[in-house]
Amino acid sequence: MLSVSMEEDEFFGEKTFQRFCAEFIKHSRQIGDGWEWRTSKDCSEGYMCKTYFQIKPGTVVSHLGTSAHVQTCLPTEEALELPLDDFEVTETTTGSEVIKYEYHVLYSCSYQVPVLYFRASFLDGRPLALKDIWEGIHECYKTQMLQEPWDTITQQEHPILGQPFFVLHPCKTNEFMTPVLKNSQKINRSINYITSWLSVVGPVVGLNLPLSYARTASQDE
Amino acid sequence: MAEEPESALQLPPSTAADGEGPTEVSPETATPEPPSSAAVSPGTEEPAGDTKKKIDVLLKAVGDTPIMKTKKWAVERTRTIQGLIDFIKKFLKLVASEQLFIYVNQSFAPSPDQEVGTLYECFGSDGKLVLHYCKSQAWG
Repeated sequence: MLSVSMEEDEFFGEKTFQRFCAEFIKHSRQIGDGWEWRTSKDCSEGYMCKTYFQIKPGTVVSHLGTSAHVQTCLPTEEALELPLDDFEVTETTTGSEVIKYEYHVLYSCSYQVPVLYFRASFLDGRPLALKDIWEGIHECYKTQMLQEPWDTITQQEHPILGQPFFVLHPCKTNEFMTPVLKNSQKINRSINYITSWLSVVGPVVGLNLPLSYARTASQDE
Repeated sequence: MAEEPESALQLPPSTAADGEGPTEVSPETATPEPPSSAAVSPGTEEPAGDTKKKIDVLLKAVGDTPIMKTKKWAVERTRTIQGLIDFIKKFLKLVASEQLFIYVNQSFAPSPDQEVGTLYECFGSDGKLVLHYCKSQAWG
């Protein structure tokens, strides 16, 4: 049984990280939110990840089915027997794409906090540039991010996968987590650090946690 | 926001205790009670129907964040968290580089576009929604 108290644990260790992730994933499974745990090849490290797909809407174009052109010549008996489907108006969305978003939660040994890695790509593997990802971001963050994104978001190699991901820099994590942690100690309620942290940083990069996580975010001790 | 500060009527200390959290309120059973008359300024007629009724929100500071002199506000159901954040930032005169976060359950930050009405249905109790706010320099 881990006897780590929150007082000592403002900077928490990897085991505590894993414990919170396990609780987080447990709830994710209950509500079908799609988070999974993955381990590195030698199983010494692990991380949480979620993938989801979003259709980026394109332009809707309406046109008649091409078979209608064939029917402009004199109708034959054959033509009259053709199923009505051939004369349907069809719509296609030109330019619509399916985008795959990936969010990974890893533990940073140097900062001793969780870190959010993310990337987005088209189905054929073409990565989205950061500025394209911004379209999914809430307005309130856009201004701030557009001003100083490079301080906050960097592109780095995923420590376990070795592929390039965007990373929300963890240097300020303690600053906004500490008051929440201290408050929880004051009221004798343990909190799930991962849930609280992700609820704050997630929306910045387009990841919104369903409200039901809030019930699991804290419990009376 | 049509805030109706009721500086004349404060919550009695016993109900303003720290650590109060939402009771288990399920959306189906939580028919919000009408806001107490204290949260509505005189002369304002609330339109009939639950959808128009405002939510009593109690704002509590966390950490070193300044405490708002008026803590209890009547807020439209459709007001978003982001709207509330903007309001508190102005009220506390925070500078642009300061971020403000709002938490339910003292631990979870709802998405910025989450509506107060929904939060009340999930986390409200005793006819009000308690939200904790905390300032920080989170980014950049």
